[in-house]
Amino acid sequence: MFSLFYNSNIFIWIERIIKFINSIFFIFLLIGLSFALIFSPPDYLQGDSVRIMYVHVPAAWIGLSSFSLIALLSILHFIFKIKNLPLITKSVAPIGLMFTCIAIVTGSIWGQPTWGTFWAWDARITSMVILALFYFILILTHKFISDENKANKIACVVAVLGSINIPIIKYSVEWWSTLHQPASIKITGTSTIHPSMLMPLLFMFFVLILYCALIFLMKYKTEIIRIKKKNLKRYD
Amino acid sequence: MIKDFILMNGYGIFVWTSFVITFLVCVIFYYKTLKTLKKYEREFVKEIEELSNEQKKTVLSNSEIASRIISSQNKTI
Repeated sequence: MFSLFYNSNIFIWIERIIKFINSIFFIFLLIGLSFALIFSPPDYLQGDSVRIMYVHVPAAWIGLSSFSLIALLSILHFIFKIKNLPLITKSVAPIGLMFTCIAIVTGSIWGQPTWGTFWAWDARITSMVILALFYFILILTHKFISDENKANKIACVVAVLGSINIPIIKYSVEWWSTLHQPASIKITGTSTIHPSMLMPLLFMFFVLILYCALIFLMKYKTEIIRIKKKNLKRYD
Repeated sequence: MIKDFILMNGYGIFVWTSFVITFLVCVIFYYKTLKTLKKYEREFVKEIEELSNEQKKTVLSNSEIASRIISSQNKTI
């Protein structure tokens, strides 16, 4: 059973999954965009500007959950020294940074018609910028520190420190008086969003998750090849 | 009808800008990732080709990943 976790088996599965996602992705993307831009209703207050939600909210969710995953895997690596975990965190970080930036930019664009301004140093927005900075530090750590063990240790510390920011982002709208609205979707409790908007939102989230999986697998595959390439040097 | 769809009651500029930025960033990121992957694959195959026949045999028999990358590169060529 454990042979499934050997790099060669992982590599084969990565190739299969990449092919599979590539074959279905555009169909799902078209369906998601159709619902987001055409079939979902406009909001009674915000009108059609609410459609920005279909890219903004999933991007923010992905940004947050990617960092939580990185923090969790970094702690696990610190305790159990599983060699594949740093490869995973290294591959997830750029995806998280990209979606955090998308969330900030689309949120800023949404802010203009809703709040009358593109930018405010609001608790939610500021904590999201801090999250992007933590991602940036994580990526730079791996880029500029050539000693991999040292880079992994520093990245682990950065990830743990950055994870303190995650609950701050989540609860910033409740702890402080902010321009940003409180969460409409609750895992425990009743959501205040109508199903006609919730379904397209969840679908767009699923489409972006597929995209993330595709990018992650390509990055992970690159990391495996990089290690294999380094091992080849032993023959020189 | 198409005009209404594009203008979105005056919110079109905000909605379309958000979607276009997201889409463009995703496409650029995808191609950049793919390009890096292909570059590493090419370099890996090149380094294997530079090994002696004996070493090449050892690498290919020990590493399924190496054989898969070489065969995928040959398909591309």
